[in-house]
Amino acid sequence: MNEKKQSKYLTFGISTLALVVFPLLWFLSQAILFRELTEQLARNIVVLIAIPFGSTFIFLLFLGMNKLIHLAPKDTRDSLEARMFVGPSLFMIGLFLFYPSLRTIFLSFKDRYSQEFVGFDNYLWAFTDAEMITTIRNQIIWLISVVILTLLIGLVVGWLTDRLNKGEAFFKSIVFMPMAISAVGASAIFKFIYEYRPPPLTQIGIINGIRVSRGDQCWNNREISGEFKGYDDPSCINPVGWLQQRDLSALPISDTLEAGGWFSNALINLPVNTLLLMVIMVWMYTGFAAVVFSAGIKAIPAEIMEAGQIDGASELRIFISIVIPYIKSTIVVVGTYMVVTVLKAFDIIYVSTRGDLETNLLAVKMLDEFSKYRNFGRSSTVAVLIFVCVLPVIIGTALRERENSDL
Amino acid sequence: MIRNNQKWYDKPVTKLILVSIALTWIFPLFGFVLSSFRPGESIKRTSWWDAIYTGRVWSELSFQNYQEVFRAENLDRSFYNSFAVTIPSTIIPITIAAFAAYAFAFMEFKGKNILFLFVVGSMIIPLQMSLIPLVQLFKDGIEISGIQIIPALDINGTYVATWFAHTGFGLPLATFLLRDFMMGLPKSVIESAKIDGASNFTTFFRLVLPLSVAGIAAFGTFQFLWVYNDFLVANVFLGIYKPENLVVTSHMSQIAAGNFGEAWHLRTSAGVISILVPLGVFFGLQRFFIRGLLGGAVKG
Repeated sequence: MNEKKQSKYLTFGISTLALVVFPLLWFLSQAILFRELTEQLARNIVVLIAIPFGSTFIFLLFLGMNKLIHLAPKDTRDSLEARMFVGPSLFMIGLFLFYPSLRTIFLSFKDRYSQEFVGFDNYLWAFTDAEMITTIRNQIIWLISVVILTLLIGLVVGWLTDRLNKGEAFFKSIVFMPMAISAVGASAIFKFIYEYRPPPLTQIGIINGIRVSRGDQCWNNREISGEFKGYDDPSCINPVGWLQQRDLSALPISDTLEAGGWFSNALINLPVNTLLLMVIMVWMYTGFAAVVFSAGIKAIPAEIMEAGQIDGASELRIFISIVIPYIKSTIVVVGTYMVVTVLKAFDIIYVSTRGDLETNLLAVKMLDEFSKYRNFGRSSTVAVLIFVCVLPVIIGTALRERENSDL
Repeated sequence: MIRNNQKWYDKPVTKLILVSIALTWIFPLFGFVLSSFRPGESIKRTSWWDAIYTGRVWSELSFQNYQEVFRAENLDRSFYNSFAVTIPSTIIPITIAAFAAYAFAFMEFKGKNILFLFVVGSMIIPLQMSLIPLVQLFKDGIEISGIQIIPALDINGTYVATWFAHTGFGLPLATFLLRDFMMGLPKSVIESAKIDGASNFTTFFRLVLPLSVAGIAAFGTFQFLWVYNDFLVANVFLGIYKPENLVVTSHMSQIAAGNFGEAWHLRTSAGVISILVPLGVFFGLQRFFIRGLLGGAVKG
């Protein structure tokens, strides 16, 4: 009896060691070790050490745990081993993800220094502050437009590439390629397209370049027989700072809109810069949608398609009545992915406009409140808002998945 | 599946639409890449399409911008930083997750389903939710009602902070994907190894790990590209104010964001360099990448 109790204590002690103490020790020692290395050594040497040893340091944890478990009585070893295998994963998720998230919710009810409780003040701010309202408006525009555009173009590309005899992989790779490019890089690429330079400088962004070259005397400083011909002729159109246009009022089109009724009044508020920034994200993610859809379309049994053809259905008809219903669940999955991605969109705005000129999004606002204004309460509130928006989408996915597995 | 009836495929209209979409997609990249080979003065004086039109562009092309961006901008240092962040941030979560996935797939223990639900459930947490407390944790540790549970570490601004952050954000997905993959392995092989007296440790290293290479590659490619292209975590945990802490993306953002005036020759060349690595990984490991991406559709 006594012996049994003793072994129980031993098992408990060892499993505590394995599940809590060891991962904690690993965390602390890796943190302190590499912090000290960074402080003591030259940067090149730190990099040289960090890559191999930073990666493999984690094996020490498992080897140490394995040694420890061999001290335990034989009959308990199996369950101990299971805990040792899962322990670190759960510990890290708990420490780096779960605990911080709970704390963020907690902080969202506190003031900017996380000292006093302020109740729902931060949430009140989130829905009344003018800048926050613009941010939420932008987020909604982004959600609707980007998701619909990526799904639509993705469907078209996925469907059309599937119909090719050859070159399918080639076209898909081209459209998919931006997915590998960082959002920072993509933003730089599109900034070059939207580039504006005050006249009479050469317009090097292609949109303004085409704008100012329309007309007989307009050359956008092209070199013609050794002479640079500009676009200073009064008949030439002026370049536009595209990313500075928060509505249509500064554009020539607004003159024609002035006279109209409610529709043109609404249209004049069209946030041009926000729309142009969304193009970057559509460019990046359409290929992803296309590749997934194309995989879904390939899974449609050939007989069904042939039946449609024999019945004389047009291609559009086949697309709408056969293809789309067949890959409906795939469309929902990609749509979910895009909603979550758009809600967390950060880099594009941060790099191209820094959230100014009414282009802000929630994720950028969150970081601004954190690092620029140092208001931890508000920053946490915005983070919670993002989470609350993501939550129903993902729960929906999970429920659907369960339904599917029941079938 | 081979479709024998290809009559109505391959119509010119299809090709036309696809070619125009492909051209639209490649077009933004084209002017950008071309400009990276033109001298800064020429970029500002003549637009790139005019330079092509007049034929001047061919005599201008050089690698000068690339030399400058490395020499004057220390872009190579940012590359080392990027790799020092990315490689451990890929390997650490894979290692931890592989062990956990093995246990979830092949071992029996109390609370297995609940614990797995915890792992899957944490996938939905957007990383914004944990940023602030993580920064505080890495600086001051954790203190609950006056008791210091985790000591002040002060590791923000070092690689190790980004490793931990990416480990936390990547682990749920990694565990989920690898378990999924291991579930697909033939159970009988693993069981017979156990009957032969192999320990879990041996089975894991000798049998399951080698068999899971494809799954590990899928997540690894995904995580590598994700971390390499990440800007938010690098921005928060390494900072963008100390030049020696810049990774490629944050360096690129500095070059792209205004304070370089009209230095388009640097912006374009730095941009091209920064996308070379992910493009190489992407075209080399496209198969794995797409697989990881599909699994990672809900990553936090």
